[in-house]
Formats: sequence, C-alpha cells, structure tokens
Amino acid sequence: MANKRQKANIIAATKQSASTPPVTTQGSMTMPNSEGKSIFVPNRGAVATPPPLNQPKKKIKLTNEQNLYMAKQKVGNFSMGVITLILILGLCFVILHPFLKLVPTVLANLEDLGNPNVIWIPEEFSTQSFEMASYFILKQGVMTLAYSIFYALAIMAIQVFISAMTGYTMARVNYKYGTPILFLMVVLAFLVPRQSLLVAQYVYFQHFDAFYIMRLWGAETNLIGNPASLYLMAALGFGVNQSLMILIFSQFFKNIPKELEEAALIDGCGFYRTYFKVMIPNAIPAIVIVAILSFVWNYGDTYFTRYFDPDGQYLGAKLATVFANNDTQKRFVQDTATRLFGLSKASDLTFDAVKQAGVLIFLVPLLAVYLFAQRWLVENLENSGLVG
Amino acid sequence: MNLTYETKRKLLGFTFLIPFILGFLMFFAVPLGQTIYYSFQKIEVPETGGMSFTFLGIQNYVDLFATEVSTVDSNVQILRVLLDENSYMLINMPLITLLSLFLALLANRQFKGRAIVRMIFFLPIILGLDVVTEMLTVSTGSEMVQSNGLFAEGLVTRLLVQYTAIPTTYLNPIIQFVEDIFSVIARSGVQTLVFLAALQSISPSMYEVAKIEGATAYETFWKVTIPSIMHIVMFVVIYTIIDLFLTSQIAEEVYNFGFVVHGSKIGVASALSVVYIFNVLIILGLALLAFRKVVSNNG
Repeated sequence: MANKRQKANIIAATKQSASTPPVTTQGSMTMPNSEGKSIFVPNRGAVATPPPLNQPKKKIKLTNEQNLYMAKQKVGNFSMGVITLILILGLCFVILHPFLKLVPTVLANLEDLGNPNVIWIPEEFSTQSFEMASYFILKQGVMTLAYSIFYALAIMAIQVFISAMTGYTMARVNYKYGTPILFLMVVLAFLVPRQSLLVAQYVYFQHFDAFYIMRLWGAETNLIGNPASLYLMAALGFGVNQSLMILIFSQFFKNIPKELEEAALIDGCGFYRTYFKVMIPNAIPAIVIVAILSFVWNYGDTYFTRYFDPDGQYLGAKLATVFANNDTQKRFVQDTATRLFGLSKASDLTFDAVKQAGVLIFLVPLLAVYLFAQRWLVENLENSGLVG
Repeated sequence: MNLTYETKRKLLGFTFLIPFILGFLMFFAVPLGQTIYYSFQKIEVPETGGMSFTFLGIQNYVDLFATEVSTVDSNVQILRVLLDENSYMLINMPLITLLSLFLALLANRQFKGRAIVRMIFFLPIILGLDVVTEMLTVSTGSEMVQSNGLFAEGLVTRLLVQYTAIPTTYLNPIIQFVEDIFSVIARSGVQTLVFLAALQSISPSMYEVAKIEGATAYETFWKVTIPSIMHIVMFVVIYTIIDLFLTSQIAEEVYNFGFVVHGSKIGVASALSVVYIFNVLIILGLALLAFRKVVSNNG
C-alpha cells in the first residue's frame, strides 16, 4: 500500500502549508529603550546576536520627567487591572446569580419556603422539591433523561452530517448561477422566522404525503406525534437553526486551500473520497463548534418537540408544558404537591421551588457536556469558520 | 459517458445538495406558499376532517389589525403585540451586541484563571435556551418577575434616588436595565463566542505595529480592533435580530390562533405569519442598510 502512504504524506505536507507557518524567530534581541522598558526588536534574516548573558544590569539614571511618566504608567496599569478584575467578577456573579439564588429555594423543605429568616442557607435541608420535580418530568425515571439525551445526540449527528455536506458543495463546487441561488436559499431559510411557517408545516405533517408519492401505495399518514417528523426535518436540512450551521460550514470550507483538493485528485481520489478522507478530517474545528451548538439547541428545543411530537418524552418540552406560567398548571402542581407529599399549604413559592428543581435536573446533562466540551470550544474557535 | 472533470464534479456535488433542496421545497417553499394562500381564505375544519376553503380577499388582514386580540391577554390587540415585539427588539439588540462585545473583550485579555472565566462567559449559550430562562424566573402572583430585585433595593439605587439631583425619569430606565441585565446576558452566549473568535483572528502584528507607532490602548481599540471586526458586528446584529424574533410571543399567538382558539382561525394565523415575515425582513433590511454604510466607511 505504498500509494496510501504517499497520499498521507502529501496530505500532511499540504496541511502544514495550509496552517500558519510556525513562527521561527531567526534572531531577536531585547534592547533597553530610553524609558528603561525593553522592547522586542525582530531581526529577520540577520545573524543572530544574542545578548550576553552574564552582563551586570546597568542602572539607568532617569530624569524627573521620566520618573513621573513611569509612575503614571504604573498607576494606570494597576487601576486598569483592578477595574478589569471587578468587572470580570461582577459579570461572573451576574451570570451565576440565578443558580446561587436557587440554592435556598430548591434545597429547602417545601413547608419552610418563604421563611423570612432565610437568605442563602435554608434551615432544614430536604430533597422534596427534587422528588416532586422528577415525579412531574421524569415519568419513566432515568429513561426520560436518557431518551432526551439520545434524541439530542441523534439529531446532532444528522445535522452535522447534512450541514457539512451542503456547506461543502456550496463553498467548493462552482455552479455558475446555482451557487448564488443556493446561498440565497440558505439565507432565506435562516431569515424567515420558523414560527411563521408553523401552521402550514403542521398541516403538512398532519397529512404527510411526500410529493404525492405515498399516495401510490396507500393513504397519507399523520406524522404529528411521531418523532420521524423531527428526524426528517433535520435530515433535510431544516432542523433547529440548521441554515446557520450550513453557513458556518460553507465559510469554513471556503478557507481550505485548493491545493489540498488537487493533491487528493492527483492521488486518485474521487469526489466522495476527497470529501470523506481529506476534507472531513480537516474540518474538525468547524465540526466541534457546530456539534456543541447543535447538541445544546436540540436538547433545549421546545419548539419542534412541543408542536410536532407533543406526546414525546422530551425533557425540555415537558418542563415547558408542566411548568407553564398559567393558573391551571400552577393549581395542578400545587394540588399534586399537597396530595402526594402531605403539605399543609402550597403556594406560588412551592410551584417555583419544584419548577427550579426541575430545571436543575434538566441542566445536569447539559452542564456535564458543556464542562467536558468547552475546552475544545475555545481551542477550535479561531479556525472554526465562525468568522470568515 | 464522457464527462469533463468539471461537469462530473458538479453532478456529484449536486448529490450532496439533494437533501437540502428537498427540504427547502418540503419545509420552506411549499409551506410558505400555503401560508400565503391560507391567509386569503376562510378555513373551516368540519368534524368529518379535511378543510373547507372560502375565499375572503384581504379580510383576514383587516381583521388582524382592526379587531383581533391577543390569545394570551384579551385586553391587548394583536397590533399592540407586534409593536411591542419590535420596540423590545430595537432596545435589546444594541444592548446585546455591546454587552457580548464587552464580554468577548474581557475574555480575550491575558490574566490568571482565564479558562474559568471563559467557561462562565460562555454559559449563556446554555442559559439562553428559552426553557431555561423561562424556568429560572420567579412567578409571584400571576405576573413574571424576571429581575431579582438585587439592584432596585440596593444601597446604590437609594443613594442615587435620594441624594442626587438626577430626575427619576432618567434614572428609572437605567435601573430597569440593570435589573434586567440577566435577560440581556442570557441572550448573548453565541454572540460572545463569535466575537471572541473574531478577536482571536486579528493578527497580533497589527497590535505590535500600533504599539511601536505609539498608539495608546484607547486608540488601538478604535483604530485596530473595531475596524477588523466590523463585518462580524454586522453578522452579530443580524443573528441577534433573528434570535430575538425567534423567541418572541408571536409563535404562541400563531399556534393558538391556528389550533387552540375556538373555531380555529387558521386564516388569521396565516395572515399574522405573513405580516410577521415582512416585519422581520424589513427590520433586517434596515439594519443591513445602516451597516453597509458603516462598513464601507471603514474600508
């Protein structure tokens, strides 16, 4: 298999030339300037003259003016640092605040809610609200959770696969009039808000009949309440925010050097081989970004799941329906609370506590994935084609 | 078959497009056409199933603006809901854009513990999910209180209100904004990510040159950073507008009009959808026009 090996070499070579060449400082030295600060002077091509190592540091006498300048700089830097620190801490606090605020509500005994003495730490710890929340949203125990995660992962895989394909052709195959039209189609699909097509799509799925073909071997089927409708939408490029993903991929593939494709062609790769063996392995940064976004969006999606598969066991949709902010649901939750857990009274606070316990259960897998994946998120950000 | 390389490539490439084109026809073009068609019809759904159409002309549109009320709160006209959505969008779009740029700038600085801070700054990607923001709010009585009452009852506010001469008409909107900051932050996750990517892709040599030329940090920001990310700002603005419209109340109204309200007003729901599409496209067009100027001015 010499051929294969050769190809790999060429790919590796082109890869290197594609990425930014490693910075080789051929020669550089630091020179003290008039303010005593050292500045970096690149010295390209010249013979490197490293500064002598064991030279005693010369003390430079500064004039009063220069001293003042230095002092100003120092004060400026220091105060900038302090301001940045305060801003960062403050923003972090604001982002995390809702979670911190959950602690006293969620962990408290449901009878003890609204205790004016409690600010951060509840007097009595209890897991009641979690039990209640799981009673409401995890009808089939852990299976519901597992199914939601499975659903999000499956849709994620489909979305990445389809978007990458579409984006690739959009960026790298040159149709004379087709490419701009295609671009316009994707942008339109991105711009037109999905809810404005809701009624027509709903009716469409209710009497599903793909291009009148299905009529040939039987009647139309009702796909509302059938997860197939959701998978079908993702597989045909119209899942959650999928046009955005197509745009990201197309932007990414546009920036891949042409030589890579030519090298593959010379080595005898056809169109599909080039795509799957050369392009996809090089597209990891874009794939990572799209995959993370897709997982988060699909796991948290309530729009598609609630309207097209209303009976499905999706955690997000369940949360949104059970804890909808209206009186019927509130009374339902409160009644169940008093009936099952023998509470003497149930108020809006009970509703909130159970609701927030629910959202914590919902967030656990998401946060786990996020903590696991955010390292890649940051690493791949620059090369992801997110900015083009 | 003797095809040239280019033709073959186009044909094979087209196979990659088939899913999207099918989807475009099935889930976009046909529904869009149907929505427009429905919006001119009176649609009745008899017990026996199926639908019966009667042509109405623009009656649905007239009804929509003249008589129809919101399905959530019957005291509010649909027109009012639309206007509120737009003003909410116009106020929040610049706030979200600026805030996410600010977050990205902070996250781009060099300091210890940057990894943790970045992790927290990207959390809004998760917190921005509709269901999460909705569930994190506290419902007291029948109305939602998004804010946490941290600031309004705080010391700073009291000092500002009681001991300074700033009239409350100016103070209140600011206090309101600070109160609602979480709802703004929750919408800025993806935007922060995009901005950070843009900031990282600015070549360091640009900053080096600026430094050698003796530019201050302030000048560097306005002359180097901002022009290099201007096209990204445009993208973020478009994304923010679409994101804000996606999470608006209109979806609920459309669904309720179509399937929940007694006598299901599918025609009215479709008319609302059409109006809404035009609304979004007009706002986007305006934003694009405004930015075209700015971007071309910056070179």
